[in-house]
Amino acid sequence: MTEWHVEGVESRLDHFRLGPIDLELRPGRAVAILGSSGAGKTTLLRTLAGFLPVRRGRIVRDGVDITDWQPEERGLGYVPQGLGLFAHRTVERNVRFPMELGYTPDANARTAALLERFHLTPLRHRYPARLSGGELQRVALARALAADPELIVWDEPWQALDVQARHELGLVLQELRETDRVPVVVVTHDPSLAFSIADTFLVLDQGTVRWQGDAAALIDHPTDPFAARFAGYENVYVRTDLEVDRTDPLALWLSDRAGDRGVAFARPVVAATPHDPPPWEGTVQTVRPTPEGVAVRLHAGGLLVAVQLERPWTGPLPTVGGRLRFRIDETTLHPLGGNLSRVGRGT
Amino acid sequence: MAAPASQRRWRAGPLWLALQLVLSGSLLLLFLLPIYALFTYAPLSRFVADANNPQTYYALWLTFYASGIAVLAAVLFAVPLGYLLARRSFPGRSVVEAVVALPVVIPHLMVGLGLFLLVIPGTPLYRWTTSLGIPIYDTIWGVVLVMVFVSAPYTVLASTLSFRAVDSRVLEAARSLGAGPATVFVMVTMPLALRGIVAGLLLTWARAVSEIGGILILAYAVYPGGPYNGPVTSTISVYVYDLFQLGDLADAAAVSSIFLLIAFALFLLVRLGERSGWLPWRRGELGP
Repeated sequence: MTEWHVEGVESRLDHFRLGPIDLELRPGRAVAILGSSGAGKTTLLRTLAGFLPVRRGRIVRDGVDITDWQPEERGLGYVPQGLGLFAHRTVERNVRFPMELGYTPDANARTAALLERFHLTPLRHRYPARLSGGELQRVALARALAADPELIVWDEPWQALDVQARHELGLVLQELRETDRVPVVVVTHDPSLAFSIADTFLVLDQGTVRWQGDAAALIDHPTDPFAARFAGYENVYVRTDLEVDRTDPLALWLSDRAGDRGVAFARPVVAATPHDPPPWEGTVQTVRPTPEGVAVRLHAGGLLVAVQLERPWTGPLPTVGGRLRFRIDETTLHPLGGNLSRVGRGT
Repeated sequence: MAAPASQRRWRAGPLWLALQLVLSGSLLLLFLLPIYALFTYAPLSRFVADANNPQTYYALWLTFYASGIAVLAAVLFAVPLGYLLARRSFPGRSVVEAVVALPVVIPHLMVGLGLFLLVIPGTPLYRWTTSLGIPIYDTIWGVVLVMVFVSAPYTVLASTLSFRAVDSRVLEAARSLGAGPATVFVMVTMPLALRGIVAGLLLTWARAVSEIGGILILAYAVYPGGPYNGPVTSTISVYVYDLFQLGDLADAAAVSSIFLLIAFALFLLVRLGERSGWLPWRRGELGP
């Protein structure tokens, strides 16, 4: 089983600078790389895979410095965005490709086993153009495993997949971690799947690490606006949001309790019959039933606040344009910012 | 009350459709009628006589021989240039691209004249080629030279586009699976670009066999020499032109028809080969 250490790696693509990045990849662990478009997620994966030169820092595989190794020497299964399947080869010959590069005595048996494992045997004579999104993902994964990788690096695995296919792929990736014990690095925009397979999260913004830590820490100490939104906080306000209107009491109250990059808090629960009148009031914008209860968006001063109605809600449902009072528990506020890019147990 | 969108479209349909049919139909007629005229002008006996005439045979043979060499030259020189233009950025690339387009825009009679001026006795190129034993003027090499000049750009352009269309992420995936750059080129890049390159080579071949302007000046009569050892002859286009000049319309039409039949048969063979999957470059698009 292989361990990978990414130590202070920096790279560059034209004018875009990435890094420094520190990561530890252990067998059976999965890291999710998060960030908005242009944050440098793909650049990081291509640097790990050896397609962009490392300007500073090093990549170590089991104690061996492989920073300057060619992509084909790294033993790393890179699945690019769009999967990179070979349109001119059938499913079977796509999966077989890594074994055709050198002498592989049991190539037939191994290909057959991989096809069977990923439920591709009935599709083995088809070309990629005739497969569904979920089938293509399975081919890409089977082909990556055919090269016996020591690390799987996957860019946007769930792109353009329907709900069922996403769910199935999530299970396949989990199995990959648990059975094959191959460490996995995925880039994704999808929080629920990221939480279902990854144990470590790294948030990139403009090429630098904004946040890094495990799932529990992402929920308890997001410290970065993007990380907070990804963790599921609906009320995330950066400093500039709070400073738009300096006469707004809610914005001022939050501003006093915010970190240098803003503040985040979960949807406050509005009680049907409060003991004393809650301090804040807003105009109802939307009312949406959810499995957790009725979610309401309010315009309170200059801010849009998401709240949730207590269950069971005894009074009449709020109507759009009506007024609703709410309370924000000060202990649920998460100040964002500070030098807290590394939180929790790490990798 | 406004009609539903589907009905409005149906009302506008017939006129619009008629206009499209008339316009495109006229052009298709223009393409087909001259060929019809060629095939129907001469009586069958002239076809038989011309098909058995050694002069027709040698002109056809020279044309296919020279154009075959021109296509090989395109594979050898034009495909690498296409790859260079598609995958590398270097200073002056746009200049190179403009130079590649040059043969398409120059009148071909002037191409022949330019080549002629390069290889007439007394020029360095004349001394060099004669010392190598490959005379240009009025030989098969002259025909090949003109053909390559006028037809190779189609292969350069087609292969540039085809190589550019190969997703670099597919190539990166192949590298990451353990293939070195040369292996990736042979096993992935070439197979994926092959269809476009072959289409370019077919265009190159079609352009080469139909060339006459440059050949009239550089190799009007082709004497034995180099790979051609037959009697003095000319390319099929020059031969038909000569027949026409002599007022022999029936033979001109019959020889043209014979050539067109062979050319169509070749195109048909390639298409059938593609469809059946016997020729590899469209696999994956047509397969199961």
